[in-house]
Formats: sequence, structure tokens, C-alpha cells
Amino acid sequence: MSDTDTFLGYPRSHGRPGIRNHLLVLNCTGLTDATARRVAAALPGAVFAGTMYGMGMVGADAAFHTATLAGMATHPNCGAVVLIGADRTRLEQMIAAVEAADRPFVALGLDDTRHDAQLLSQRAIAEGARLLRDLSGVRPVPCPVSDLFLAFECGLSDPSSGLAANPLLGHVADWLVDAGGSVLVGESIEWLGTEDELANRAATPEVGTAIRRAVQDRLAMANAAGVDLLGTNPNAANIKAGLSTIEEKASGAVLKAGTRPIRSVLAYAAAPAEPGLHFMDAPAYSPESLTGFVASGAQMILFTTGLGNSYCSALAPTLKLTANAATARNLPCQIDFDASAALADRTLEDLAQELVAQINAIASGQYTYGEIMGEGAESISRFGAAI
Amino acid sequence: MTTRAHIVRPDDMVAYLLADAPAGASIEIAAQTLTARDAIPVFHKIALRDIAAGETLHRGGWPVGRATQDIPAGAHVHVHNLVSAYSTSKETT
Repeated sequence: MSDTDTFLGYPRSHGRPGIRNHLLVLNCTGLTDATARRVAAALPGAVFAGTMYGMGMVGADAAFHTATLAGMATHPNCGAVVLIGADRTRLEQMIAAVEAADRPFVALGLDDTRHDAQLLSQRAIAEGARLLRDLSGVRPVPCPVSDLFLAFECGLSDPSSGLAANPLLGHVADWLVDAGGSVLVGESIEWLGTEDELANRAATPEVGTAIRRAVQDRLAMANAAGVDLLGTNPNAANIKAGLSTIEEKASGAVLKAGTRPIRSVLAYAAAPAEPGLHFMDAPAYSPESLTGFVASGAQMILFTTGLGNSYCSALAPTLKLTANAATARNLPCQIDFDASAALADRTLEDLAQELVAQINAIASGQYTYGEIMGEGAESISRFGAAI
Repeated sequence: MTTRAHIVRPDDMVAYLLADAPAGASIEIAAQTLTARDAIPVFHKIALRDIAAGETLHRGGWPVGRATQDIPAGAHVHVHNLVSAYSTSKETT
């Protein structure tokens, strides 16, 4: 695989290189959402992300929210950032984060423009245009694949996901971990029933305990709410497609994680401390799950689907793959990689080589269908109510 | 007509159909051939042997649920006769 030893990326002075060189327009407070969207829309190629919330968030909820916004502000794929917010408090937190990462930025608050959103837009567009111009002059350079950090998700699964698409990602996970890179898997409820096997692969007993606790906490959450997982996970579409129980879905889903040791169980949006395979204790719903991965620093998402799933991250190119031949045929502008041959006449090893080559091409600048179609978004999980 | 089904491990109790099959269709699973007792949609499960109510079903070495009734070989296995070990709902048997 010598042609996949490197990819073309954008080195950063702090942290991993980017596989894109985006100008991020980051909306830091809910009050400025429309204003920040207007700014991003006026700057071709700029990527929008942010929050609909702000004042009154407390405790763990506030801490996770700030960590996620900071993770996006300093994401490897963002070459420069326009920070927009209503008040200086949240802006100052984000300024501190991007300064620590040594990333070019501008920060504009309504406090600075006498609460005139049009004036703020005007200034942000002018400053953003200058940043975009600077970014457009940068060319990517070869970077080792050990700099890659991939996160794996599944969405709208059917049994083909567990039979072929997820095991295929398992091969990719083993390849990247062996190459010195990093891999992240989340959706803790979908570790259910596989905890013993996963705990046996934990790098330390503490990690094993954390895996079991994460699953038990999610299960307790469902039970406390009086929710039967049947109908929620698997959901109605999963069931119609043939998945009967959470443990059937979960034992297919964890195959994404391959076979290497599990180094840590990360909190939502937390960055891994070392390369290798990591798990994130997080909700399973793709929008909030993917944003947790992005804030953790994953440059690309590999997303398996059975029935099709158009959702993508805004910041991390999201490669869609399916082993359902009908889905691949019916969604030609959504599915980036057709793995259905794994259920016919190809081996997973063979298909994994082809997939690694495509990952390398996308890391080096080739668009995913999600990028072309503009499907990307980010959504930060909430961990409690606001005052 | 013959429809193929995918089995993960030789000791699995269910296989996954790779195309829709009507009741009575001949199902080819590795070296084994079985007759579908029910109409079974693509990617849904077929029982590979007679399964007794209360038995835990395995796929690829993992438990995937418990039979809520006797399931004869060739029958469709799904939410009507298989329940999660984690289910809190009242079983309909």
C-alpha cells in the first residue's frame, strides 16, 4: 500500500494537518445564528457551524458546549476562523482557543457594533474575504497517514451493515491503527451485549470499566425514561429492514472497531491523548454523534448505511458506504463506496484495499458526494437544561 | 427458484436472505439448501434449524435475542418471534 502511505494535507503549527483548508464561520451564540449564516453565505466556500444556545447553560452542559465549540474552532480542517457572537464572554473563550492553536481568525460581536447585526455582517464579510484570499493561496503537501484521524458511524442500518459494511470498516481501523493513525467509534448504546468482548480488548482495566459503565448508563437512561429500545434503537426503519433487536444491531455495529486494543473511552468532544483506537461515550443519533467526533479532531468520517442516510458533517468530509446493492444503485449521488460485492464475490480484504485508496483520495482533496451536495451540518449535544 | 442467504459462522442459527423470497422458495446457504416456510424479505433472517421457545439465537458468535415461540427451520425470524434480552416491553407470545 505504498501509494497510501501519504496524503496531501494542510500542516498546522499545532496538532494534526487538515485534509481541507476551510474558512469556518463559527456562530458562538444563538442570538447571532441568522447573522452568521448570512456571513457564511456571502463568502463562497466558507463552512458554517455553531450553536443555537448561549446564556443560562450551566455545569456539565455548559462545559461540554464550550469544549465542542472550541474543538470546531480549532479543527484541523479549518485554516482560518470567523468567530461571531452576541456578547464578548463566549467570544473571549473561543478567541483563547484559536490563539492557543495559532490559527488565523477574526472575532466580531454585536457588542462591537452597537447591536447592529447588518453592520456586524458587513465587517465580518470583509474580514472573511481577506482570510479566504489568504487560504486560497495555500497548496497541500504530502503528510504521513499516521496523521490521519478517522471516525466511524453507522446510520439507518440494515443487516447488510453488520454483515459487510461494518466489518469492512474494521479492516480499515486495523490498517490505520497499525500505520500509527487514530480511529474513533462512538454510539455507546450500540456496544450493548458486546461489553465483555470490548472490555477484553481494553488497553487498561480502567478503560474496560469505562466501556461497561458507558453502556450501563445509556441502558439505565432508557429504562428510567420508560423507553423500550425496540422502536428507538433499532428504530422503525431498522426493524422494517430486518434488524430485530438492539444486540443484533450492536454486535454488527461494533465490528467497525476492528480488532486492535481500545486505548481510551473519551467524553463527548474530548480529544484522544495518543494514537490508536478510541471509543467515545456519546449519543447514537448521527448529528450529535458526528459533531462530538469533529470536536475531538477527526478529519474524516466513514459512515456506513443500509437504507441510505444523507447526513454529513460540515467540517469533516463524510464518506458514505453501503453493502446493500439496491441502496448503492438507488442513491448514486449519496453513496461514495459500494461495498455490496462483499456479499457476492469479493473478499473484505480485497475491498478494504480499494476503500483505503478512496480514503486517501478524499483525504488528498477529492470531494465526497456530501460535500458536493452541501449536506454538511453540525449539532452539539445538550447535557442538561438551561436556566 | 433459488435465493441465496448469507451465513456469518457455520454454527449460526440464522442466515440473512440476499433477495426477497416467497414462501416455498428454495434457499441456498453455503452447502445447505432449505425451503422457506414464509415469505422473507431481503436481508431478513431465516431459521436454519428448529429452534425451541426460550432458546438464545446466535449470529457470528454473538447473541441476537431469544425465541418467544418455537421456530421451525425455514421460518422467518424477526420481531414476531425474537425478543431482545434487554427488552422491557411485555412479550407477545
